[in-house]
Amino acid sequence: MSCGGSPQDYAAAVLGHRSLGDGSGLFAVRCEEIASCAEPGQFVMVRPGTGYDPFLGRPLAVADAAGDVFKMIYRVVGRGTALLASKRQGDPVTVRGPIGRGFFSARGEKPLPRKVILAGGSVGAAPLLFAARRLGLSRVEKTVMGVAGKGWEGFAEWLKEAFPGVDLYSDDGTAETKGTVLSGLPDFLPAETELWACGPQGMLRAVAEKYPRDGHRIMAALESRMACGVGGCLGCVIPTVSGNRRVCVDGPVFTAEEVKWNELSSC
Amino acid sequence: MSSLRADLSIAVGGLNLETPVVIASGVWPYDPALWSPERLEGVGALCTKAVSLHPREGNRGVRVWETSCGMLNSIGLQNSGVRGFLKNALPVVRNSGRPFLVNLVMESARDVQENLAVLRDAPGGTEAVELNISCPNVDGDGMAWGISPESAARAVAIARSAWKGSLWVKLTPQAPDLPAVAKAAESEGADALVCGNTWLGMAMDLKRKRPVFQRVAAGLSGPAVFPLALRTVWQVCGAVSIPVVGCGGVARWEDAAAMILAGASAVEVGSALFADFDLPRKIADGLADYLTEAGVSNLAGLVALGRK
Ligand SMILES: Cc1cc2nc3c(=O)[nH]c(=O)nc-3n(C[C@H](O)[C@H](O)[C@H](O)COP(=O)(O)OP(=O)(O)OC[C@H]3O[C@@H](n4cnc5c(N)ncnc54)[C@H](O)[C@@H]3O)c2cc1C
Ligand SMILES: Cc1cc2nc3c(=O)[nH]c(=O)nc-3n(C[C@H](O)[C@H](O)[C@H](O)COP(=O)(O)O)c2cc1C
Ligand code: FES
Repeated sequence: MSCGGSPQDYAAAVLGHRSLGDGSGLFAVRCEEIASCAEPGQFVMVRPGTGYDPFLGRPLAVADAAGDVFKMIYRVVGRGTALLASKRQGDPVTVRGPIGRGFFSARGEKPLPRKVILAGGSVGAAPLLFAARRLGLSRVEKTVMGVAGKGWEGFAEWLKEAFPGVDLYSDDGTAETKGTVLSGLPDFLPAETELWACGPQGMLRAVAEKYPRDGHRIMAALESRMACGVGGCLGCVIPTVSGNRRVCVDGPVFTAEEVKWNELSSC
Repeated sequence: MSSLRADLSIAVGGLNLETPVVIASGVWPYDPALWSPERLEGVGALCTKAVSLHPREGNRGVRVWETSCGMLNSIGLQNSGVRGFLKNALPVVRNSGRPFLVNLVMESARDVQENLAVLRDAPGGTEAVELNISCPNVDGDGMAWGISPESAARAVAIARSAWKGSLWVKLTPQAPDLPAVAKAAESEGADALVCGNTWLGMAMDLKRKRPVFQRVAAGLSGPAVFPLALRTVWQVCGAVSIPVVGCGGVARWEDAAAMILAGASAVEVGSALFADFDLPRKIADGLADYLTEAGVSNLAGLVALGRK
């Protein structure tokens, strides 16, 4: 498989589907072209079938990939994710990908840091799971995850299984410790350490603001509404210090210092 | 190109297209891999994103929103200006080996003439321009040039005097009397008319209890608008004798065939590409089979057949 070309549409099939409780789940898709090329932080545009309903693909992060199979994690929030949640083994899906600049590529020529702290909010855990696998246990200094709480019990259980030693927080205290991801992060970013984060925009912004001088060491995977996923429609742009950038192909991973957090609109 | 069974080539407003499928403005990225001949099977020509004289940042806030079988967009013509386009995008565009049109924002009279002059003087040149008269007229209270026959005539006359190459004019379906606008554009020297652009709509964000878009109204496109667009193609084709290019909601080969039967010489495909990159090839193949089945030897024989 040669990687590095532009994303393509693939007709693929659901290989397995596991409920993580409360409207979230993990599904595996057989598609060698994507599985063998994806890097952590990259995503795919998924369509529940082959027609025009729903009209746009849904961006979902690659949560793991090996051989000819890759995995995704979803939380049902609307029609598209509800349709995906109903997919069973053997059902067809259309996948466009792999898309975007992942955690490794977004660092440019910089060598990998000695240590990484992973910080995820709810389904933001997905790309971090893949990142943890690629980084290896010795590089992961700490993993902090947060969920809302009630309604997320099943997902919280899965987080504990997927991330050994995870520090888990929930806003209302129903799952593990009461608090947010921020509660689990150190006051200062240790030397030779980067923080890789993915989650709701408010969480990412709070993480960025916690370490005002270390923005270059914070890699954040952002979300934005998307139509094409390949850089064509300019629908997903966010304001950065170097002007408008497209989340789909210039990101979704940006350094915190690139993003103009106070000018972001909610998506 | 796939093994097309019937001759799909057609001449439209100064361009010779191998197939009648044109990629509409604003949807295809300047990614060299996507402008390579292999990725453009079935595509007869491509339109660039809107190009203005000076760079534009585009709109803030939410820019795209899904609707039932379509989408709304409020991109706001973000582009790096004509000089940025020539430097960064044109080499990629040329790589397709296919005819292309530079989609030009109809700004003030002076700006559009300067924009055309820069394009005209560019080394290697550009064959064709698609003049977008659907955007706000900077000279006239934010109204689109394409709304009235008088302003449309003025816009086309201004562009025609500065541009000798092929000139397609992209109309707006918001015009209350579209056939009259079409006639006005024809009489001022347009080589072809694109019928049309997005339809004004809006969306409400139920969580924020506010309109989704900062500018409130946004452009509706996709399969949802196809019957509306087909009707305008029928009306405009009845009013003018220059070629008409159908645009709006084309998402299957049957849509393309319907527009061609209604009188269009070609069709533009926009939002449906977001769902399916391979659509141009599918449309071309479908049309070729349809021609063969109907016993029509070439595409020109299908144009306006539905009016006879
Ligand atoms: C790069 C990226 C990676 C993502 N990874 C994951 C993931 O791994 N797991 C997961 O559960 N979710 C992920 N999301 C969010 C996910 O795409 C949305 O929750 C989903 O699109 C909602 O679709 P829906 O049809 O259920 O909701 P609806 O609200 O019915 O969707 C309507 C439209 O809004 C868009 N939309 C709604 N919410 C979002 C959002 N947050 N971001 C982008 N578009 C949105 C949809 O794509 C669709 O076009 C990711 C988003 C991005 C941009
Ligand atoms: C994201 C997006 C950006 C667009 N940008 C432009 C543009 O820059 N200039 C233009 O003339 N039309 C633009 N359009 C309109 C399309 O070219 C096309 O006319 C319209 O979407 C209707 O066709 P469709 O239903 O096939 O998409 C844009 C449409 C979309 C969806
Ligand atoms: S989703 Fe179209 S440019 Fe990013």
